[in-house]
Amino acid sequence: MNRFSIWRLLPFAVLIIFTAPLLIVLSTLFGSYSENWFHLYEFVLADYIISSLILVIGVSILVLFLGTVTAWTVTTYNFKGKKVFEWALILPLAIPPYILAYTFTGLFDPFGDANNFIRSVFNLKDSTIIFPNVRNIYGAIVVFAFTLYPYVYLVSRSAFINQSKSMQEAARLLGLNQLEVFYKLALPLIRPAAIGGMMLVIMETLSDFGAVDHFAIQTFTTGIFRTWYGLYDLQTAMQLASLLLLTVGIFYFIERSSRGDGIYTSNNSTFSPNEEVNLTGLKALTAFLVCFIPIFIGFLLPIVELSLWAYEVNLGFFNNKFLENSINTLSLSFLTGLICAALALLINFSIRYKPSILVGRFSALLSIGYAVPGLILAVGMVQLLVYLDNLAFSGFDIVLTGSLLGLVLAYVIKTYALANSSIESGYERISYSLDDSSKLLGSTSWNMLGNIHIPLLKTSILTSVLLVMSDVVKELPATLILRPFNFETLAVSTYIYASEERMIQAAAPAIAIVLIGLIPIVLLSKMIRSSRPIENRE
Amino acid sequence: MNNILEIINLSHAYSKNENSITGINLDIQEGERVSILGPSGCGKSTLLRLIAGLEKPSQGEIKIKGIKASSRENLLPPEKRNVGLVVQDKALFPHLSVYSNICFGIKKNKTKDDIASELLTLFKIENLKSKYPHEISGGEQQRVALARSLATNPDLLMLDEPFSALDKDLKETLYSEISLVFSERKSTILLVTHDQKEAELMTERQIMMEKGSFLE
Repeated sequence: MNRFSIWRLLPFAVLIIFTAPLLIVLSTLFGSYSENWFHLYEFVLADYIISSLILVIGVSILVLFLGTVTAWTVTTYNFKGKKVFEWALILPLAIPPYILAYTFTGLFDPFGDANNFIRSVFNLKDSTIIFPNVRNIYGAIVVFAFTLYPYVYLVSRSAFINQSKSMQEAARLLGLNQLEVFYKLALPLIRPAAIGGMMLVIMETLSDFGAVDHFAIQTFTTGIFRTWYGLYDLQTAMQLASLLLLTVGIFYFIERSSRGDGIYTSNNSTFSPNEEVNLTGLKALTAFLVCFIPIFIGFLLPIVELSLWAYEVNLGFFNNKFLENSINTLSLSFLTGLICAALALLINFSIRYKPSILVGRFSALLSIGYAVPGLILAVGMVQLLVYLDNLAFSGFDIVLTGSLLGLVLAYVIKTYALANSSIESGYERISYSLDDSSKLLGSTSWNMLGNIHIPLLKTSILTSVLLVMSDVVKELPATLILRPFNFETLAVSTYIYASEERMIQAAAPAIAIVLIGLIPIVLLSKMIRSSRPIENRE
Repeated sequence: MNNILEIINLSHAYSKNENSITGINLDIQEGERVSILGPSGCGKSTLLRLIAGLEKPSQGEIKIKGIKASSRENLLPPEKRNVGLVVQDKALFPHLSVYSNICFGIKKNKTKDDIASELLTLFKIENLKSKYPHEISGGEQQRVALARSLATNPDLLMLDEPFSALDKDLKETLYSEISLVFSERKSTILLVTHDQKEAELMTERQIMMEKGSFLE
């Protein structure tokens, strides 16, 4: 057997490419430190740490509350609208935090639409301000919590569904009422799953650039951006990025290990799902509001506000620039989707065709890019491309730097995990006996891949392309940094309009981002609708 | 002696057309140990769930210590009945240690330790105190489930085929040990089983049940 076949080498080769930008960033920790670093260390680093910490703690508490309470409500009670809420509660995932931040300021600023509306209804003076200022860390906490709570909701709902009825009945007979069953038994039982979801939220919060930049909050991401574009000091920016990368790494490993812990389930053979409690009157109204409010703030409010802004320009947004940005966005995201799907297909095939523990472990590392903030990937990628330019085209100065290649590569590293999860689960459904039969009938590896696996994996491949596309469309910081000169995507033009406070013009690209972002949400909601427990009474 | 349980003309149906239980009448006195014997699917477990308040009757009523607990119109919540139920799958809380499982239902913090220590000794599981349910055997899990149910000092303890998943030798050891515990504590017991020998060893009065009704 050839020990160095392409199927064995492929995952290692891809791993080197994927980790190169990250290693470059981390290596700066061991390099020299400039005066800017000491200035940052002395005057602003503590602010970055404190505001990031407040943000993370506030968002964590709020997402845990919103995610678990809504999940408990839809799995335990039966009330009007419950079947819609089951899947609608994930809709806020389609709204990137920076878009909710833009609509929040458009609504709640002193002369925002919400304040204007109340003043006109109640005939109040212009100086009367009803809603509190949202351009601060508390506003950011609300923005992140209401767009990211679905991560906790999804895992909590699934964990609550898997809790055995007999355990909750035992708790009731031991003297606990329904509310006590929730916080004394059901909640501690789903703790590992909820913590896993919360870690994803923390990683997304720490990675964000658009929302914190809009609210002018000093965090690591805004600090990295300012150090690079304000002080023109890439080395210090990378050193700051390293600190953020190490912090995110800690949360990444907590999330992975909480998956290992799994959720506590009963190990008996007589599992039966919980029966829903029918609610009427005030209790039904309370349950309705518990589920409706997060969807209203996290999805309906920005959609309505964006639609009103778009209506104000009376289709004027539908111009050449918007079309060009849309085409740029769609072609880039489609290209990234295809590359990710192809890579995930080849790597999963190589793991299956030439099984090896080492290859399996290294392949798992390929998904790490999903946890890395886009800004850090961009910083590392720029340095990598500069290095490659110097190595290969020393006479031509810059060829790769500032090209679409770096941008697509950063997208691929960031979104490979999404494609991989879809194709990996597709492969789990293909029996190994098909591979054995194919080998016995004389198929080569490429034959097996092309004639057996790809036709069977068609849906998984399509899903992976769509998942990647919807994520790439939302990506802001990496695009902002790595895009070629004068090249704009929908996310970039939304950011530029919003940073110039031209909210009405930002509406159209923002709506387009949300619509494309809805694709995986629709796929997920389909899965949720088919994952309701089945009553199996004797 | 006082009546702990009084069931009057009780019926229950999971669907409109078919009764799972029809016209059940039963009295259990304080300290009495009663078993209901019958084949699988005859309605034994449903009867226990009705007494526990986990199901609502379609007709008749259940009184616990003279207080109306269940009828077609009213249902006292399970947590307010002060009854215990041990089922075949034990329903131990997997994230809690043996000690915490036993203490789970005890409201008064001051007495927690004393009650738990007494039960750990009584069921001979002191050495398992800090272990988790997945770390102990099926027989040990059953002892923990029984200890947990007794910790709240229920007026009536119901056992739903508690030993059916255990092997023959272990069952026989547990019968004598647990019967002794019940006698010492003067517990009021309602056991359902399909095993005649288990019923005779564990209880003083046996009632036969078939197709949702007691046999005369």
